[in-house]
Amino acid sequence: MAIDERLAAERAGKRRASFELALETTADARSAEAGAALQRASLWRDALQRFRANRAAVIAAIAFLALLAFVIFVPWLSNEDPYKLNFSQAYQNPSWAHPFGTDEFGRDQLVRVALGGRVSIAIGFAATFAIMGVGITYGSISGFVGGHLDNALMRFLDALYGLPYLPFAILTLAIFGTVTFWTMVVSLTIASWFTTARVMRGQIISLKENDYVRAAHAVGARWYRVLFRHLLPNTLGVIIIFVFLELPGVVLGEAFLSFIGLGINPPKASWGSLAQDGYGAYQTHPYLIVIPSLMIAWLILSAFFVADGLRDALDPRAREF
Amino acid sequence: MLKFIIRRTFWTIPVILLVILMTFLMMRQIKGNPFRNSERAVPPSIQRNLDRKFHLDKPWWQQYLYYVKGVATADLGPSLVQRNQNVNDVIKEHFPVSLKLGAFAMFFAIVVGIPIGILSALRQNTLSDYLSMGFVNVGYALPSFFISTLLVYFFALRWRNYTGLPTNGWGGWQTWILPAIALGLAPMTVFARITRGSMLETLQQDYIRTAKAKGLRWQRVVVLHVLRNSLIPTVTAAGPLLGYIITGSFIVESIFGIPGIGRYYVTSVTGRDYSVTMGITILLSLIIIFANLVVDILYGYLDPRTRDLRT
Repeated sequence: MAIDERLAAERAGKRRASFELALETTADARSAEAGAALQRASLWRDALQRFRANRAAVIAAIAFLALLAFVIFVPWLSNEDPYKLNFSQAYQNPSWAHPFGTDEFGRDQLVRVALGGRVSIAIGFAATFAIMGVGITYGSISGFVGGHLDNALMRFLDALYGLPYLPFAILTLAIFGTVTFWTMVVSLTIASWFTTARVMRGQIISLKENDYVRAAHAVGARWYRVLFRHLLPNTLGVIIIFVFLELPGVVLGEAFLSFIGLGINPPKASWGSLAQDGYGAYQTHPYLIVIPSLMIAWLILSAFFVADGLRDALDPRAREF
Repeated sequence: MLKFIIRRTFWTIPVILLVILMTFLMMRQIKGNPFRNSERAVPPSIQRNLDRKFHLDKPWWQQYLYYVKGVATADLGPSLVQRNQNVNDVIKEHFPVSLKLGAFAMFFAIVVGIPIGILSALRQNTLSDYLSMGFVNVGYALPSFFISTLLVYFFALRWRNYTGLPTNGWGGWQTWILPAIALGLAPMTVFARITRGSMLETLQQDYIRTAKAKGLRWQRVVVLHVLRNSLIPTVTAAGPLLGYIITGSFIVESIFGIPGIGRYYVTSVTGRDYSVTMGITILLSLIIIFANLVVDILYGYLDPRTRDLRT
């Protein structure tokens, strides 16, 4: 309610004295808080309400789910065989029979794009969760233990931070020697877990200062209880935001690697390798590169706006990471 | 300030050593010795000599020290595939091209991105704000290989009679325009968004209201107070954005057929020319470490509060 009004006021473009507006919103927020307490509304329901009030985020969330539905259901529903070569059908422009056309081997591009999306998104989610696992562990150890260990771990992170991420992913792939689903996940994880670790450390450190944590220590709670019961659950909001911030980066990284020829081996494909195939014929059959690229853009944009909406909904104060 | 600069500069040394160590250890994990398992069997005595020449008979930490010494004296060793070339030669030949391309791309990103950010912040929630932010978001989301292809298709093929731009190659200003735009687009969108965000935040500050209240003209408020304070976060973004440029250069250089270091890196990986791969990785890392150093010092100069935090 309060958010809606503020948005409406902003949209109207009226330059009202901001303190007046601020007074109003805090008053609204206070009454909303009181009401929420009566309804036994949790923090999460509050966040959901704020998320729903954000139109861009809701549209992005629907677009994201639609994309997931597309890659999951299309290969099930379609009768086309994505691996069968049929040269008489090669390079068909988009039509009713083949909405996305066919590739140089006459394979239906609709199914291939959906299957490629499965690979891209699966790699994206797997690597994102691996990044979360590594980053959360590293960051919370560093933040929770503190002192010299924290210092050493952060120096190490500083050294890795901002290194060119693609070369290190490429090196990791070269170590494995072959590119499979899991080697791709590992190399993308190794190249991009730093930000999460750093943010998690900051979260843990700032949460540690809270009175309830001191109280828990004071009543004799063991360290693991403090960490797992009081600290980590409170970082859940940030973690969820970071899933949606990391996912596009990882998918894009995979697409880059595939495009320069270091992707999943054919006949399997990802959006990146489909675009790479399409690049070979972009002058005569532009749809072959346009469609996979737009799919990547779709995923990135929707994840980005979902992350933005989640950030506003879950943690309105922290606008900076 | 001087103390801060010295301390900050000193800190790069262990960082550089660590980065070299990591790269070195990673390269050692890659299977196969370049001088073994070749088509022609090498007699054991020659094998021993080769091993001795390249210090392969020493333990790994001595090899690491030799390599660090090589980096320090700017000698990255021979190429393993092209026997008549050193890694130094490869870098000398290809790096200036990439440097030029990267500089053009950064220039494009700054000159286009920051004004877009400023304008859309000053006209927040108007049509021009929505349009430019829409453009920025789309530009951010489209992968660089797609943008490159689009640029080539339209500006170098479709409308070549009007633009006269070539599809690929390197030499002459016509060949620089399209790759620089393709490479600079992603950093441009980041610049635009950061500038917009920090402008909006600065506009909310009390001192801006004070400046307005004391009757300063709006243009002067923007130039004197808003811009000065809100461009600081933009400066810090320039370091990490170099990473974008390096990553993008791998793709853009391949598509536009530019003989730069990014394209050569990809060739060296697929051609298993490991000393070149390693040399370029370290070179790129050094560039980023150096850029972060410059950014931190600049930031410490612009915002003295951060000096202690950013050792």
